[in-house]
Formats: sequence, C-alpha cells, structure tokens
Amino acid sequence: MKRSAFGRDAGLSVRMLLTSGLLGLLYVVFAVVLFSILNVGLVAMLVIVGGLALFQYFTSDKLALASARAKVVSAEEAPELHAMVERLCALADLPKPRLAIIDTDVPNAFATGRSPKHAAVAVTRGLWERLERREVEGVIAHELSHVGNRDVLVMTLASFFAMLAGVLVRFGMYGGLLGGGRNRDSNGPPIWLIVLVVSIVTYAISFVLIRALSRYREFAADRGAALITGAPENLMSALQKITGEMARIPQRDLRQVESMNAFFIVPTNIRSRAAGLLQTHPPTEKRLAALAEIAREMGRPV
Amino acid sequence: MGLRDLLLGRRKLKEASTDQLFALSTARVTLETELGLRPAGRAGICFKPLSAGEFARAAGELAELLTVAARDSDSRVTQSTDEHGFQWIVVDDPELEDLITTVHLVGTDLAARGFGAQLLAAVFRFEGRERPVYWIYGYKRAAFWPFVPTGRGQERDNAEELKLKAQLEGELPVEQDLTRWLGLFGAPV
Repeated sequence: MKRSAFGRDAGLSVRMLLTSGLLGLLYVVFAVVLFSILNVGLVAMLVIVGGLALFQYFTSDKLALASARAKVVSAEEAPELHAMVERLCALADLPKPRLAIIDTDVPNAFATGRSPKHAAVAVTRGLWERLERREVEGVIAHELSHVGNRDVLVMTLASFFAMLAGVLVRFGMYGGLLGGGRNRDSNGPPIWLIVLVVSIVTYAISFVLIRALSRYREFAADRGAALITGAPENLMSALQKITGEMARIPQRDLRQVESMNAFFIVPTNIRSRAAGLLQTHPPTEKRLAALAEIAREMGRPV
Repeated sequence: MGLRDLLLGRRKLKEASTDQLFALSTARVTLETELGLRPAGRAGICFKPLSAGEFARAAGELAELLTVAARDSDSRVTQSTDEHGFQWIVVDDPELEDLITTVHLVGTDLAARGFGAQLLAAVFRFEGRERPVYWIYGYKRAAFWPFVPTGRGQERDNAEELKLKAQLEGELPVEQDLTRWLGLFGAPV
C-alpha cells in the first residue's frame, strides 16, 4: 500500500477551491460596487472592519474559551489528557496546544487559536467520561487537524468582507431611517438604498458560501484525524456516540453551549430543521460515509 | 506547508527521519567520561500502529527481520503495547552501537514500507546517576532531547534536563523548542 494513496481527496479540493473562488469573486464585485458609489468614507470603514477582524483573530482563543466557560488545565490536573495530546502532537509535528475542560455532560470538543503556537483545544467532561480513550483520541486528532490546517485564519479571512457587508447593512438601515444620504441625481434611487441592497445580497450569498467552506473544512479535519490516528473507525464511533448521546440529553443542557456551535466537532443543534446549506457542519451520516471511504482507501473496510 | 495545502486543508503527516540517530554514538564519549552516564543496554522504538490489515502484515514482517538481525548481533528484541495503544519494540544489547543500528533498521524498514509517518520516538536509557536518564529521539523532529522522570507520578526533573541540553548541545542535535520535549512516562525501557 502506498501511503500517498490517501491523504487527499480530489473532489473535496475542487469543491473547496470553487467555494473560495466564488467567495473571492463575490467580494471583488462587492468592493468594486462600493468603491464606485461610496468613494468617500469607505476607507475609514475598511479600517474599522479590518480592525475588528484583527481583534477577533488575535483574541479568538480567549473569546472562545471564555464563552464556552472552558477552564485551562495543567498537566498535573489532567495527566492522562495531556499525555494523549502530547503524543498525537508529536505524531502530527505540531506544538502542544493549551488544553481546557468544559464542565458539561454533553460530549463535545473544539479547537481555537490563530496559529498552532497559540492554539487551544477544549474537551467537555462528558466527552472524557462517555467515550472510550481511542474514540477521544480520534476527536482530539480532528481538532488538531483544524489547528494544523489553520482553520481560524482561513475562516477569518473568508468572513472579512461578509463582516463589512454586515456592518454596511446596519449602516444603510440607519441611513434610511434617518433619511440621510443625498441622491446623486434626482431620478436614481438613493445611494444608501443601493448600498443596503448590495450589502444584503453580498451578506446572504457569502453566508451560504462560508458555511459551505466550513463544512468542507470539517471533512478535511476528519481526514486529518484518520491520518494522525491511523484508525478512522475510532472517529466514526466517536461521532456516532456524540450524536447519539446528544439526542438523549435534555435540550436545556445543550443551550448553554449553543453559541459555540461552529467550533464544536458536532454542533449541538442537531434537532434543528435548518436546511443543509446553512449548517456549519456536514450531516453526521455524510461524515461517516466519507470516513468509511478513507478506511477503505487505507485498506480496512468498515 | 504550502499555500495550496493551507487553502485546501490537507496538511499531511510528516515523514520520519532517521538521519540524525547515529549522532548519539558520537556523543557517547562525552556522556560517559564527562557526565558519568553509561548506556544501560536498552532502547525502545515507539510507533502508532495502523488499524489497516496492510500494516499488521508489515509489522509482522518487520518482527521477522528483527529476529534475524538480533541473532546476528546477539541482541534480544521484545514487543509490547502501552496504555495509550502505541506499540513498542524494545531492544536489549550491551553495545550502544548495536542498539542504534537496530533502531535505525526499524525506522528505515517502516519508512520503506510507507509507514514512516507512524513512528513517534526512539528512547535510549542511560544510567550512572541517581536516576536513569533517557535520551529521546523524535523521528519527526530529527533531534534528541533528554527526559529525566523523577518517579513521582508524571513529574520530570526539568533542571537536570536543561543542564544535559547545555552540556550535549555541541555534539548532539538537541531539540531547541522545549515545547516539543515529549515525555514518555512508563516507557518499557
């Protein structure tokens, strides 16, 4: 068997390129339209949104850990978890991230941080208690793959202009409410209306594209986890357990962590009826099918 | 990692490098005469087994190869699995040279079969001080680092390790990034 036979998925790469390409095209159109009608004031706005994005980028780890109420644990407090992560990091040739535990019974995990050196991986108490060690290993390898693939950087870049569009939507609405914005000529629609419509359209399309990109990154991280652990079946059973356990636990407990959905290995709102296009994660069945395919490539049908 | 791999999220596992292993035999004199550390005649290779059947076959063939090699150099080879599910090949031989050669053989053999990325570390045990000193070779880092467990839980003697790093730096490729100094507590070495 040639190891190079797995580790890449041509179809997934094409879809990811296509999505980022569409997103880039959309942003260019958006920027051109804005510049042609709003040549004054736009630079200031770009600076503000750029500042916001940078702030988000540099504080992502602290924000995410704080909003999930994750407590960073030392090697003395959680020796087994530390030992497991150290070994996986050595295999993946990544520096060891900070480790945090979230005190909830819901089994889940997330990774955050702008670079491998500033990364943090958080697991819930439920994950550690309800899953077997080799399954936890699969989950942590998935999170380490997010770190190695620099997903926080990629997603921050991908959502930069969406943030600008979002800001402009609010701005345009205020403009409309206050009756501000002067017409270029008496016949055309007011500038604020054009900006509002363009921003809303950009925001809506980029939202769908960003979510698609997020789902592709999940597939990529699943693949990375299979590579690091060498055992896709462990992540498969972990995903099944996490999804199954979450369905059994009362929703009240889930809502505590709901704001963290995009980060988690499996989002907690699995019962929501949102269309697939708007989800941050692919459906578990699709992830299982992709992992089974990787297992087959690796010479182990499951 | 290239920009394309970053955009596509397909970071690959780094292959193992066995190039720097023999540096340990050069450093042996300094270890023994200046630091009072003599080889304990035992070394171990730690790797993550794949669940694929192909890997089991490769590991089996490797074991056979090792048995033959061991017969030639009068060393003893044993295999075990640790609590983390990693596999160990432990080599007993009074000669440090033979230990290094066997460890190198395992590395190159697994790499030749396409499983080099599964190699985690090689561990060489040294004695002569109050506590055993381990030199760990990281296959992904192509460098050594010292590991001195105190024996109390998962505690290591960092002061001693840093001293060893300073003393051996000239002769041994020592890992400079301290965060990569993986500790292997409970290693069967």
